Amino acid sequence: MLETGVRQFRMAMGMVWGRRLSTRNLGRLVDDAIATLHEFGEPGADAGNVIEGPFSDPAVRTDFATRAVRRTAKRLAAQSPFYARRFASAGVRLDRLDLAGMRAIPVTLKRDLVERADDFQCADVARYLATRTTGTTGRPAEIWLSRYEMELWPALGALAGLIRGELGQDDIQQVNVSSRSTASVHLNVAGCRLIGAACRVLGIVPVDEALDGLTNRGATQLATVPSYLAELEVAARRRGMGPDDFRLRRIDVGGEVLSSSLARAAREMFGAPVRDLYALTEAVPILGRPCSDGHLHFDLNTGLVEYLDLETGEPAEPGALATVVATPYFPYRDCMPVFRYDTRDVVRLLPDEALTCEVAGVPGTGPIEGKADQVLRLGPTDVVTPRQLVEAIEALPTRPWPARFRATVHDGRIRLTLPASTITGLDEAEVVRHFAERGLDPDLAFVSDEEATALRLLRSDLHETTFAAGPALIGSLT
Amino acid sequence: MTLYEDLHSSQLFLSLFQLCMTTFGAMAACLGALYYMRRVRLDRPAIGRFNGRDVVILFGFLGILPALYLLLPHWALISLLALTFITALSIGYRPVVSPGLLWLGIGLLIGADLWMGQHMINAVFPWHFVWAENSLVMLLAVIAVANLYIQGGMQLKHVALFAGGLAIYDAIFTLVWPVSSLLLREFVNYPLFPAMGMRIGYDEAIVGLGDLLVYAGFTLAMVKAYGRRLMWLALTLVFVFGAVVPSLSGLVINYLDERADVVIPAQASFGPVALITYLLLRHRYGRERTMKEFLDSDDFVRQAPVPVTEPAVAPEPEVQPAPEPVRT
Repeated sequence: MLETGVRQFRMAMGMVWGRRLSTRNLGRLVDDAIATLHEFGEPGADAGNVIEGPFSDPAVRTDFATRAVRRTAKRLAAQSPFYARRFASAGVRLDRLDLAGMRAIPVTLKRDLVERADDFQCADVARYLATRTTGTTGRPAEIWLSRYEMELWPALGALAGLIRGELGQDDIQQVNVSSRSTASVHLNVAGCRLIGAACRVLGIVPVDEALDGLTNRGATQLATVPSYLAELEVAARRRGMGPDDFRLRRIDVGGEVLSSSLARAAREMFGAPVRDLYALTEAVPILGRPCSDGHLHFDLNTGLVEYLDLETGEPAEPGALATVVATPYFPYRDCMPVFRYDTRDVVRLLPDEALTCEVAGVPGTGPIEGKADQVLRLGPTDVVTPRQLVEAIEALPTRPWPARFRATVHDGRIRLTLPASTITGLDEAEVVRHFAERGLDPDLAFVSDEEATALRLLRSDLHETTFAAGPALIGSLT
Repeated sequence: MTLYEDLHSSQLFLSLFQLCMTTFGAMAACLGALYYMRRVRLDRPAIGRFNGRDVVILFGFLGILPALYLLLPHWALISLLALTFITALSIGYRPVVSPGLLWLGIGLLIGADLWMGQHMINAVFPWHFVWAENSLVMLLAVIAVANLYIQGGMQLKHVALFAGGLAIYDAIFTLVWPVSSLLLREFVNYPLFPAMGMRIGYDEAIVGLGDLLVYAGFTLAMVKAYGRRLMWLALTLVFVFGAVVPSLSGLVINYLDERADVVIPAQASFGPVALITYLLLRHRYGRERTMKEFLDSDDFVRQAPVPVTEPAVAPEPEVQPAPEPVRT
């Protein structure tokens, strides 16, 4: 206990002074947390402060963020060629930089990262592991991570997971994300190693194989993407399975829009709650977590999140749609950091009212609405987000999961192209009424099911083959 | 009869007086701490449980404690002691009494101790009150600190190892290098002197805070680890090897050395017994229970839930209806 106090003090001092945290110290704190849970069955009463931080006071939040931004910017000016130039051209004084003043620095775009990746590499850090964005929204960006980062993030994640009771030594975690998401896979594996949990990394394999891994005393935790979860639910339903066939106690998804229909169906099928997390390869380790009221709350310890109006680029007003702009702080990101990175992920800001959820002390937003360039503009104030379309399509009684569609705007009206099977058994009037009840009046068009995949690329399309998936058929059997 | 003989009671009387004082102090500490542990849950940090390295840290602190006594100026030493006891009492009794009563009580107890230690030790008679008041502070502190350790995850193994180490430490610093005797003579009537004690005439019987902590910790750890069935064994061992043997060993020591004011290292007899007891219990009953298992058992007295009475008038709903979603 005394020793743990010293370790927590070291960690706290590292955070306050902005020095690289000792990953060895953090690893031992994870061991301490395991011992605590073994002895007491739960962490102590003030566990929330250890992982969330004392951020319920807006003045504390602002002060913390200002110091962290200043520290991060100073380091980038010294170590990152891209930001040395950018800060110089913006003409900002980094020793006096504050949250209002940093708006003078232009946001960083994905295009910058793709075209000038080497300029983002900090001079004082050696590369260790490269991870790539999936590229479903265009050309993939490659992010290099340092060994320090790959030791730090799992330790912080393991500590938070243990304290929150999300992952324990009895758990088996199954990871069904693309094997090319090296950072995500590594974080899951290393987190499980630190805690002593088991980890099964499968990737986007044929869905029945993944389903087998979840049954027969299988996984207790599942990490995947919404589209693959949809395929799992469909496959489980086809096999006549139900919650008694699984021992899952938590399903984490992220990277795509998760509709409430799919979340509810998955919860009923697998008997476990589904959490829609937000994480972006370029902005790791900033993480957004949902609360029970459906808000998205970003971790304030590891980075600053701004919400900028889609039109003006200025801070968005309550209730408006905004793009998420992320600045991971040093020392949580040190190899290829970004500063004011415009994720183009859209959220709707909450009304300017006090929150009443379990994490009311941390500012929240609505869930991710989709990518900014996929938002449809029907008029000056009339916009439709990808989430609205996904929610509407996946709520159809045919359960067309994952939703495949193409949406374009013609003469102020949405033209929605769907696979034919999406409305099997429904007449046109029913479909029109279904969309109308959700505030949509699309002009519907249909294509054959073979063309469904081409309508909308999903992460579950990044199939990985296995020898166990059955023989390939070449030629004719007759 | 010389003046010396008039001031000097027989060794038999001194030993019996010491036995009574030690027995009273040890039993009050053990039973008080046990009563507390079975009913009160102390706050604990988010992460952390007592482990073997903490025992080493405690031992290190114990090692430098005599140096603090000898090196620190008087005011600094008293301030440090006052801070330590205020902290211990506030942590220990925060779950038991209201904040107002807690701080009033701590203020009165510590204030009285400081005042009495400065103003009531010049005559013999009031020393009874000085000792009684100081002993009450020490007893309350022992109950709180023993619970802080044991409820913080300290196991019987740790207590036994600590007592075993203390046996060697005590023997060395009492018999070989008599630092303990020096400290006792130098600081015995300072405010917040870390011991329970009493005085009859010119005779004083004292039992140290460290010894009381070990006895209380041993009893708590044994009950926590293996259940209430072992409470009597723990108390008997404390009585025999923590009170009777050290107190009556004064008779033997006096036979060898007539000074009669020798400090007796109590842990020299209790430490080895604590260690052996732990090994035997582990062999017989297996691993120790965790704090969670103790709290889930019948050994922990759960407070009966307060019956909820229906309000006469239905209150206004606290949660307002959710606003209509914004449509775009």
